[in-house]
Amino acid sequence: MSEFLEFDGVSKSFGNLRAVDQVSLSVRKGEFFSLLGPSGCGKTTLLRILAGFENPDTGRVLLNGEDITALPPNRRKVNTIFQNYALFPHLTVRENIAFGLRIAKRPRLQIDEEVSRMLSLIQMEDQAHKKPSEISGGQKQRVAVARALINKPQVLLLDEPLAALDLKLRQRMLLELDLIHDEVGITFLYVTHDQGEAMSLSDRIAVMNQGRIEQVGVPAEIYEAPRTSFVAAFIGDTNFFEGQVTEFCGGDYLRLSIDGLPDLLCFKDKPLQGGNLVYLSIRPEKFHISRDRPLLDDRHNCLQGKVVDVIYLGTHTRYWVRINNYRLAVIQQHSRFLLDEKPIRWEENVWISWHADDGFMLERYSESDETLIGLPPEKAGEAVEPPEDAAETGH
Amino acid sequence: MKQSRLPLVITLLLLAFFYLPILVLVITSFNASRFGTTWEGWSLHWYRRLLQEREILHALSNSLIIAVSATIVSVILGTTAAFALHRYKTRLQRFHYALIYTPLVVPEILMGISLLLFFVAIGMELGLFTIFLAHVTFCISYVAMVVLGRLQDFDFTIVEAAQDLGAGWWASTWRVLLPLLAPGILAGGLLAFTLSIDDFVITFFVAGPGSTTLPIRIYSMIKHGSPPLINALSTLLLLITFMVVWASQHLTRESS
Amino acid sequence: MIPTAIVFMVAFKPTDNYGGIGPGWTLETLRHLANPNYPAIVWRTVVQSFLTTTICILLAVPAGFFIARANRFWRQLLLLLVIVPFWTSFLIRIFAWKVLLHPEGLIKQLLVFLHMIGPEVSLLYNSGAVLLVMVYTFLPFAILPIYAAAEKFDFHLLEAARDLGAHQWQAFFRVFIPGIRRGLLTAILVVFIPALGSYVIPDIVGGPNAEMIGNKIAQRVFVDRNLPHASGLSAFLILAVLVPLLAVLALQKSRDRAAPLIQEDA
Repeated sequence: MSEFLEFDGVSKSFGNLRAVDQVSLSVRKGEFFSLLGPSGCGKTTLLRILAGFENPDTGRVLLNGEDITALPPNRRKVNTIFQNYALFPHLTVRENIAFGLRIAKRPRLQIDEEVSRMLSLIQMEDQAHKKPSEISGGQKQRVAVARALINKPQVLLLDEPLAALDLKLRQRMLLELDLIHDEVGITFLYVTHDQGEAMSLSDRIAVMNQGRIEQVGVPAEIYEAPRTSFVAAFIGDTNFFEGQVTEFCGGDYLRLSIDGLPDLLCFKDKPLQGGNLVYLSIRPEKFHISRDRPLLDDRHNCLQGKVVDVIYLGTHTRYWVRINNYRLAVIQQHSRFLLDEKPIRWEENVWISWHADDGFMLERYSESDETLIGLPPEKAGEAVEPPEDAAETGH
Repeated sequence: MKQSRLPLVITLLLLAFFYLPILVLVITSFNASRFGTTWEGWSLHWYRRLLQEREILHALSNSLIIAVSATIVSVILGTTAAFALHRYKTRLQRFHYALIYTPLVVPEILMGISLLLFFVAIGMELGLFTIFLAHVTFCISYVAMVVLGRLQDFDFTIVEAAQDLGAGWWASTWRVLLPLLAPGILAGGLLAFTLSIDDFVITFFVAGPGSTTLPIRIYSMIKHGSPPLINALSTLLLLITFMVVWASQHLTRESS
Repeated sequence: MIPTAIVFMVAFKPTDNYGGIGPGWTLETLRHLANPNYPAIVWRTVVQSFLTTTICILLAVPAGFFIARANRFWRQLLLLLVIVPFWTSFLIRIFAWKVLLHPEGLIKQLLVFLHMIGPEVSLLYNSGAVLLVMVYTFLPFAILPIYAAAEKFDFHLLEAARDLGAHQWQAFFRVFIPGIRRGLLTAILVVFIPALGSYVIPDIVGGPNAEMIGNKIAQRVFVDRNLPHASGLSAFLILAVLVPLLAVLALQKSRDRAAPLIQEDA
């Protein structure tokens, strides 16, 4: 599939700040592609470079084979939904939507026809005469979408469009955006810091951090097979383990020796040799927690620990289990009626077990990413343990 | 939370303070007697006398001509200055900003005398034109400041949106920026007009013998003229001012 | 860019020329400046301006505070009421005071009636009258910047202060006043500096005893037709104006440098 939209070695600095650092990215035609990352990671800058509001210091932007890097924003077949919608306050809803066509000097009749079509698409025929100050946040967003789509752009850019809405509205708008994408079939480039939005809407996600792309993939890939500790910790929760390869077990498995824990069995995700350093990421829901020692085959790992924190969340409970130096995050789904069972409580001694297949090896690990995992603070009176990573060499 | 009444009291007293002289003036203008101290009944006598004063009408027309032309010129120049100041952050612009800001803080008398010296130095004859130039000079500053203030609060993502939708520089300025900036520009223009019509000190310094404006006329009337006429004139001017202000409020309320 | 250049040139126009009207002006003017009358006048000018500024600020702060807290309707109305006198002719308002303070005027009659002053005391033609009218004239200039700053002020801060134990006045002085620093500074500038140069007010309601620098300059220009002397005095006034102006600028710059810059996300 030929790449429809390409960023090629794009960099942009503002003074000393490297906002975008040698980013190369391809987006396919008709995709719903998200740029996901925390504030300041460069995703909005990248978007603006595509829209034409920033000039990259290096690199090119290619749209449908054409190099648009030097084109001014009004000449690009790209339209943007701004975070604050940027509706023209002095024009009515109808005039806002018609704006792009009027600039393009389309004939009057055609404009009226298309605007009416758009209005019925977003179901705002009755509000067409109103000014932006007279409509609600959700309605403003729809007008912004209509205003952009009416120009039939090749790419629609969305800059955190749901950030200004409250929860319920956001959920509804998410569905609407999804629907619009399916109906219209245009390539969407969506910028957000909210993983829920990105995961639920996107065909593919690019996770960005400090101006660089950490990983690109479909949502499941990003979640289950994170390449870096940043991706593992930023999206959802995880547990990190650092270990050395001690033994190879059959073609697919190997054993890791980990400081403070018994040797663990894990799946061999990449070619390794004895003595190599490995960083393992295991998601909380992959663990099984029980009072009694479970009967499991030798493909499983099994540890004993003590529950130090319990957070009940309805569909599941999150436990923090202490095992020697480690505090593991564990999620237990409640698939049976909870009140008939005896849920696990504080201070209980429990068994944690998981299948060796369910961990994933990281390509890159950075200790600073540990702070992204929200560890609960130590309770007063409990012995203060040294941090998870005893100071080992290099990451 | 129990609030102190003091600010309210002070504000009300201030307002009373503001309007007291004006009220007295208005009332005495209807006084039939020559001296404002003794009341001799209502009369429009002075107003009639006023309308017969040719010199006053002449001065008024001068003031209007200058005010209108100075307003137009200073609005155009002041708005472009504000744009330049907002857009470019170079050293030159900082100097430019200081230059524009100066007339606002400098006492009028200094402006007056420096302009006078300037005109004398280049050998220009004092007259209506010099008044015009002087007015333009300080009006530009006021207009520029008002428009600049609006620009600084302006949400430029709207202009970006216009560009995003296909509008080039000209179209986005004409269709989006200016319409939204219009109230600010108008406000600046109105301010310029008022300042020009009302200006005395600077005008006094740069006026020539034949070119009297209304404030200058009023001044000489105060010094040597008959008080009741001034009362009448003042009341008329006040009335006009009230109407203008009311009209402008009405206009801005409609647009908002 | 061309309009900018024009603006530049036009703005450049009001530059001072100490034109040599006739040769040998330098020394003569300096000697003239050493006239013994002048220090008294200068001192009076400074004192009057200072008093005017102080009174204006004292009155403007509560007024600005009140107006900023009022609801929309009252706020617009009050602002209108404050601004309208400003739009009426400057000369007329001064004249109105002249009438009011006239020896046979209303106020005098009232005060005599209340036995507050004797009948031979003149309300007009003294420094007091000048001060009164100056405050009257400059008050709107003080109220507006203070109001503008008060409007941007987050009044929840006062509630927070009360919550933490401060009572009304403490909150006012420790939180509100510092909060409107910028507005206060602007108000001070906008009153003090023009006040230094005021000329019409002392001219109309002051008398020979209430002369200020402005009057002297005008006198030199129109009565004596002595431009060099006038410019000499003006130069002095410029210096007097520059000092507070530069002080304020320096204050602002140091504060700007101290405030940390908050970067928004990319």
